[in-house]
Amino acid sequence: MSRLRYAATLLILVALIVGALPSSPAKAQAPGPDEKTLVIAQSQDVQSLDPPQVGSRTDDNIVSHMFATLYEIDDFGNIVPFLAKDYRISEDGTEVTFVLNEGLTCHDGEPLTAEDVVYTFKRAADPANGFTGNTPGFVFASVAYKDARVDSELEATIVLERYQSIALGLLSEVHIHCKDSYEKMSLEEAQSNPIGSGPYKFVEWVKDDYLLMEKWDEFTLRDPYFDRIVWRVIPEASTRTAELIAGNVDVITNVPPDQHAAVNASGNASVVPVEGLRRIYVGFNFTDNFQSECADAIKKTEVRVALQYAVDVPTICEALLGVPCERATGLVNKPNDHPDLEPYPYDPAKAEELLDAAGYPRKGDGVRFECTLMAGRNRYLNDVNVVQTICQYLDDIGVKTNCQLMDFRAEFIPLLVNQQAGELFFVGSGGGNWNALYEMADFASENSNPNYGRWSNPEWFNRWRSLSNIRDPQEERKVVLEMLEVFYNDPPWILLYMQPDFYGVSNRLDWQPRRDERVITFNAKLK
Amino acid sequence: MAEKTSLAVPAAPPEVIRLQEDVPEASFWRRARHSLLRTRWPILALLILSLVVFLAIFGPQIAPKDPNRITLAARLKPPFERNAQGEMVYILGTDSLGRDVLSRLIYGARISLSVGIVAVGIGGTLGTLLGLTAGYFGGRVDDVIMRLADIQLAFPFILLAIMVLVVLGAGVLNLVLVLGIGQWVTYARIARGETMAQREKEYIEAARSIGASHARIMFRGILPNILAPLIVIASFNVASVILAEASLSFLGLGVPPTVPTWGGMLAESRDQLLANRWWLAVFPGLAIMLTVLSLNILGDWLRDFLDPRLRGTV
Repeated sequence: MSRLRYAATLLILVALIVGALPSSPAKAQAPGPDEKTLVIAQSQDVQSLDPPQVGSRTDDNIVSHMFATLYEIDDFGNIVPFLAKDYRISEDGTEVTFVLNEGLTCHDGEPLTAEDVVYTFKRAADPANGFTGNTPGFVFASVAYKDARVDSELEATIVLERYQSIALGLLSEVHIHCKDSYEKMSLEEAQSNPIGSGPYKFVEWVKDDYLLMEKWDEFTLRDPYFDRIVWRVIPEASTRTAELIAGNVDVITNVPPDQHAAVNASGNASVVPVEGLRRIYVGFNFTDNFQSECADAIKKTEVRVALQYAVDVPTICEALLGVPCERATGLVNKPNDHPDLEPYPYDPAKAEELLDAAGYPRKGDGVRFECTLMAGRNRYLNDVNVVQTICQYLDDIGVKTNCQLMDFRAEFIPLLVNQQAGELFFVGSGGGNWNALYEMADFASENSNPNYGRWSNPEWFNRWRSLSNIRDPQEERKVVLEMLEVFYNDPPWILLYMQPDFYGVSNRLDWQPRRDERVITFNAKLK
Repeated sequence: MAEKTSLAVPAAPPEVIRLQEDVPEASFWRRARHSLLRTRWPILALLILSLVVFLAIFGPQIAPKDPNRITLAARLKPPFERNAQGEMVYILGTDSLGRDVLSRLIYGARISLSVGIVAVGIGGTLGTLLGLTAGYFGGRVDDVIMRLADIQLAFPFILLAIMVLVVLGAGVLNLVLVLGIGQWVTYARIARGETMAQREKEYIEAARSIGASHARIMFRGILPNILAPLIVIASFNVASVILAEASLSFLGLGVPPTVPTWGGMLAESRDQLLANRWWLAVFPGLAIMLTVLSLNILGDWLRDFLDPRLRGTV
């Protein structure tokens, strides 16, 4: 018994000593704005800092400040040199050779040469690495990437399966990193220890709180004003707004329309509206992952066309997004869209008529069939309200819609990429205004990453493949217009709108947001 | 055996025994009525709770509108606003999707109350059974059950609920289960203590001597005699579960946003507070406050009323 008491006393003592020790180092606090520190708040934390694993706009915004690209697309949609000073394309269009600037280095001091460029491409394409980000999932699928080779110390060639007229723009999305530094790291280490090649160098990342980067003085191709950038994670829109008004952050994204007046009246910040390029839509899931009447119904073109008439998009824009909008006619932004296609009007009576004709009349309980619509929360402008409104519109025409809203990153995205996000899913796809094909590349193949519903219309995909044989821009445009008609007539989406973007910007800052949702601050400065 | 004897509850003070012997025993309901009439707050609390229960039961019949009906043209109408015809269409205003706040409050009462009552029912039943078993059998059974209780107590409840709901997913059923299972420890500890006190009493000895089974002794002999403190705890517990549901719904982990709940309504109001749409936060906040306050006042009264040592003081 005495031994037992002794042991118990010892245990209590140990527990008291351990309890008295700090359980972890004191948590660092996100630095606030000052003369040389810019603070940006986004709704989501970064998932990975390893460039080929980066797949979302929020991650890309951060990574683009630390990793440079060969070419870049500027604020006006022009493709301009960055790490590379020149490029040339082979006769058959399957080889793009980039000529690098001299004297480039990565953040660990390693010289950046053609070998590193080739390593970047090969590493991203290596299936053993299992990367699923934008580079392997979208860029490589869209340009039909085949291989990369070193031509000389400063010349690297990217080899493609076939000619692709937008190859240069797509390849401009690949973030370059150095071979030696990344070969030393495991894939897991590379997730959180970026060794970049761009104007800012990684300092620290406190998960779900903030990421700090500092200006890298040896980078000579850009000279940003701010010495430090802090990327804070503030998931809740009203908290972001409150932090902006309080002067604790300089830039916030997706300011809800109902808070514009409060921001503008604060005297500390104002809302900068931008005609955004992100395509917001409700996708149809064409896979056999769901066995339901809805899953069968949406495989019919006439049902999908009927559902277009059920949703009042202009009213959604005006009431929930705070601006009037014209409904999208396809997946391409103006001015590259199809000029002759008229947006589907809001006409619930016609929707009902078409559903009756398609063999889905209202049953005794007034329901034609039941669908599940899944969506993430707090990723897009006012998304929770928009999704609930769409469900209401579908309910109104007898398509009973079970609206499921979930955490965007943790729950929705894994379901979406595995085609498990319901028969219907609400999502947005980043756009660009520099070429129609860039936006159409969401459907570069039946299995490409952004083709979440696995739409497989042969009229579309045969034409897409035929583009590799076309060099004449006018002929290419003709095929593009035909494809947009196919998309319109056999819609894989319920077409909604191009998302207007509202940035909250501190009054101390001189910065103009871009249309493509990329938060790039190289040209930002204090007023 | 010696240890068991030492755990017996001390005898009641002599004056209490005298009170019980001298005063003729009035009927339970009569005493309750007299007790309530002598005090004011429990009556008010009872009235408020009756109203909430009435709204919860007859919500579909009395709610002026469909609580989920979205009308974008009517969004963010302030309370008590009259339209051009002089009619007050939305008495408590509308939310950011044009849904009627009053109807959502009424339907929210259903969710909040049913989550509170069912979760406490689950937790209370489970905890009472385990506490009864632990207290009656003692020994290893007692050790195992109480160590399980200690393990659960080591976790902050809200943290545990968040973890479980993140894994299982949000939803009314999961929420009720989590909240219910989170409550059992309180009941188990009280039931165990009370059972230990009861099992040493003569009427239990008598039951044992005539060959009554363990189950009969536990459920027919001991259980009716330990229910009073458990009922008091349950009344407080319903209030804390309603608050926990509101907290979890506020965090987006409770009931899905398409289902009207008071906590969910508060969460949705956050985006509108900066724009001074006060009614979206004030009305669900008031509903939560009044319900929880009423339950607490009633719990206080019930505790005093059921305690024989305090009988006659309330």
